[in-house]
Amino acid sequence: MKSLVKEHIEKIKSGKISLDEFISEIKKKIEKIQSEYSPFITIKIENPEKKGKLYGIPISVKDNICTQGIQSTAGSKILEGYVPPFDATCVKKVKGQGSVIIGKTAQDEFGFGSFSVNSFVIPKNPWDKTRVCGGSSGGAACLTALADFPHIAMAESTGGSISCPAAFCGVVGITPTYGRVSRFGLIDYANSLDKIGTIGKTVYDTALLLSVISGYDTLDSTSLEVRDEDFTKYCEENSKIKIAVPKEYFGEGVDPKIKDLVWKAIKKLESLGAKYQEVSLSQTTYALPSYYLIAMAEASTNLAKFCGMRYGFHSELKGNFEEYFSQIRKLGFGEEAKRRIILGTYARMAGFRDAYYLKALKVRSLVIQDFRRIFKKFDVIAAPTMPVIAPRFDEVKKLEPIEAYMMDVLTAAPNLAGIPMISLPCGFVKSLPVGLHLMADHLQEKKIIQAAHTFEVNE
Amino acid sequence: MKVLIGIEIHVHLLTKAKLFCSCSTDYEGKEPNNLVCPICLGFPGSKPKVNKKAIDFGILAAKALNCKINPEIFFSRKSYFYPDMPKNFQISQYEIPLAVGGYLEILGKKIRIRRIHLEEDPARLVHVGGDITSATHVLADYNRAGIPLLEIVTEPDFTSTKEVREFLSKLSSILEHLEIFDPSKEAGLRVDANISLEGGERAEIKNITGFANVEKALNYEIIRQKNLRRIGKKVERETRHFDAETRSTHTLRKKEFEEDYGYIFEPDLTKIEISQSWIKSLKMPELPDKRVERFVKQYKIPKQQASVIVYIDKALADFFEDCSKIYKNYKQLAKWIVTDLLKCLNWNKITIRESRVKPKSFVELLKLIDKGKITERLAKEIIKEYVPTGKSPEQIVKEKKLVTIKGKKELEKVVLAVIKENKKAVDDLKAGRKKALEFLVGHVLKKTRKTADPKVVRELIEKLTK
Amino acid sequence: MVETSKYWKIDKELLEHVSKIARLELSDEEKEKFIKQLEDILKTFKKIDEVDTSKVKPSFHALELKNVMREDEVKTWKWNPLANTKHKEKKYFKGPRIV
Ligand SMILES: [Mg+2]
Ligand SMILES: [Zn+2]
Repeated sequence: MKSLVKEHIEKIKSGKISLDEFISEIKKKIEKIQSEYSPFITIKIENPEKKGKLYGIPISVKDNICTQGIQSTAGSKILEGYVPPFDATCVKKVKGQGSVIIGKTAQDEFGFGSFSVNSFVIPKNPWDKTRVCGGSSGGAACLTALADFPHIAMAESTGGSISCPAAFCGVVGITPTYGRVSRFGLIDYANSLDKIGTIGKTVYDTALLLSVISGYDTLDSTSLEVRDEDFTKYCEENSKIKIAVPKEYFGEGVDPKIKDLVWKAIKKLESLGAKYQEVSLSQTTYALPSYYLIAMAEASTNLAKFCGMRYGFHSELKGNFEEYFSQIRKLGFGEEAKRRIILGTYARMAGFRDAYYLKALKVRSLVIQDFRRIFKKFDVIAAPTMPVIAPRFDEVKKLEPIEAYMMDVLTAAPNLAGIPMISLPCGFVKSLPVGLHLMADHLQEKKIIQAAHTFEVNE
Repeated sequence: MKVLIGIEIHVHLLTKAKLFCSCSTDYEGKEPNNLVCPICLGFPGSKPKVNKKAIDFGILAAKALNCKINPEIFFSRKSYFYPDMPKNFQISQYEIPLAVGGYLEILGKKIRIRRIHLEEDPARLVHVGGDITSATHVLADYNRAGIPLLEIVTEPDFTSTKEVREFLSKLSSILEHLEIFDPSKEAGLRVDANISLEGGERAEIKNITGFANVEKALNYEIIRQKNLRRIGKKVERETRHFDAETRSTHTLRKKEFEEDYGYIFEPDLTKIEISQSWIKSLKMPELPDKRVERFVKQYKIPKQQASVIVYIDKALADFFEDCSKIYKNYKQLAKWIVTDLLKCLNWNKITIRESRVKPKSFVELLKLIDKGKITERLAKEIIKEYVPTGKSPEQIVKEKKLVTIKGKKELEKVVLAVIKENKKAVDDLKAGRKKALEFLVGHVLKKTRKTADPKVVRELIEKLTK
Repeated sequence: MVETSKYWKIDKELLEHVSKIARLELSDEEKEKFIKQLEDILKTFKKIDEVDTSKVKPSFHALELKNVMREDEVKTWKWNPLANTKHKEKKYFKGPRIV
């Protein structure tokens, strides 16, 4: 697939298109997409202030990434009307490279889910409007799939929130190594797991935006002090890839037709010179509960600050602080947020925290070791991104919370381990896209980009 | 009935910037919410980053208090809701604090220190339309929120208010010597105290500001608990609040609902390894105990006096040394500081730092005594005016037209005159009747309008009647 | 090893206690629904009991991070901290009373 972004950058540079004309043209397109599919919570198109690597490229920003002067709610009513006083570091960086910020994309409330359910709008799947886009970065993937103009999305993943919607909407999503992109300005879900990443139509697009937003940031203590990389230069064919195929990722709950497509993709890479081997990642089944316990424990503390005093949703000051805070939180949070606050608070309570929270942190160590062992011998791990194709809205409604959580069964482990991963389309089941998931060791984004690019150009 | 007291002390560390953001800590006299940023206000998306200096200061304090410093520490989120907390959790330390297992010796007794840790200060609240129990709403000024606090927790080793006072005074002096704490700042030192009578439940008094209030709060609480016991009632386990105006404590909340802090590791910060080389790189200044020893050796003053001077506060010890540069009778200097100067400072409820007492003027006063220009008794009167005003003692003498004895010769004249006028008394004295001496001294003092030193007069009479 | 029989369970009393700690009022309907859902969730999460972690250290992050600190320097933010709230009086944030 050709990169519209690459073409566009050249056209703008050479003066073949006028930026003003381009912007007024995409404004109309964006409005049309919004009226049919609702990928945005807020649309606000801002002309670039500078020229740079992304000059004239429309960039959408997930709603949980703070944009100065533009409402940022993380999909929650409790932050309705909240206008951040500062830009997230990644937003500052893309603005500095001349991009056109076009608005804030829809997501599950605070990232709590896989269907992009929130207090405002729920995006519809570009391939079938009766189906979900996945989540939590659903708006980002939805818009990326629908845009027939150059565009890259800034998204975020805690437990699979980039890979899942990328797979469901048939686009490419990169979740970088934890700490590769500064989290400063990201409205926290679970700080030890949150990663800002990118969603684009091609591997090149995602790699380009990632190159701009990654890098050490003094404002984020967990930001990694590693040398800046131009990830687009890894958009090259590599025939010598060693692939591990973990049997746990092809288990019972995975749609057989999806397994077939992923196997086909692996064989395709093999035909291009790669070698593969089946392996076992024995900690996989423990990753999901460990991920949820850590994520909920952290989330429940992050959401404490929302109490109707300093920003966000508030009402008339009535009662003492316990009464007032409890009321505001009752009215401001959606159901899933409430569930996670309760579970997260429970998981870290005295008497329980050793068995839940601390235990989960220890299991995380084992999950990381599990991956380390594989990456000693292999470049990438290949697996299906999601166990199913995008479900219909009426199916989703009937799901019990635990069934919804199980959607993350294949993405929880790599997210828990903070390793980089990419999801890219590898075919269709029932006319709906399927994602191939490629993972690599910490800071080895190069390997997943090479492998993904190799597959992409030969599809 | 034996009293058991354990205390938690929170002190502001003297860093320039806050613990997790770069806002200034210089909050006194500033407009509300002037020294705040999205980080210390806990705005969505903001992230903390730890100030290394605060950890340096914590290490110094831990060393000075004989603690074991943990080689790897981390910060935790302590969750509880309160309007003074920007995030409704406080970044503090839990499982592995900065340091543990120390002690501080006071009055020949070791008070054990359980732990020392770092945490962020919450905001200052103003209760509008009443006090904490009756206000209609609160006003929050977050300028103070995020200032580094060093929390020092003792074992329940105190058995009296006096011990607590001594401990706080010495602790404060140590922290001042380390140059990590400024005791002159209001709200710079706050104490939570757990008090129980042996065999009874304990009550916790929260957030007592300043030394004097600690004493008042403890005294009140001890009496309250003793009285309850006397009438056969039980002390309830509860959190109480000290009202500085009524000097009494009141129930804030009963312990029926236990707050559960649900500590988790602070995921926005990293672990911190404290290596031996880090600890060694921090220069340890001369501490109060060493300074007392040196004072005894160098100035030959009694240890008891040296201890008082040094443990009260660093400023007083510095004052002594500044005076010693221009006044060499160190014994006299120490004596006057420990007795009359301190008495006057306490009477005026000020510290040496807050007063206008300066080495030059204080030494001027001592020299007036030495030269016999004023008597010690007169000096005691002068110092009462001198301490609150800082006026030159010579000036005070002039203004008050105080008669001073210009010298021994003048006094001799008066004594000789009295001897001449009181033949009978002189005879009685010669016959060994001691009362006669006092009679003669009294006459001399009358004539000199009490400006003569009775001791000197006594000696002169004895000499001149022989 | 933790004695696990009392874990992975939730009842109304515990739920109410947790909701109080979390300052999150729940309706009776929500309570009923949550108890059932949380039971299901905990039943699934219980799986981690199988893992022997007696010799495992907890991972606070995916990568080993340490000693990230800043220098003691003052910087000022130019902004209006009260811009996002209605609850203000003079330059103060206004909040609910304590008792
Ligand atoms: Mg504390
Ligand atoms: Zn600040």
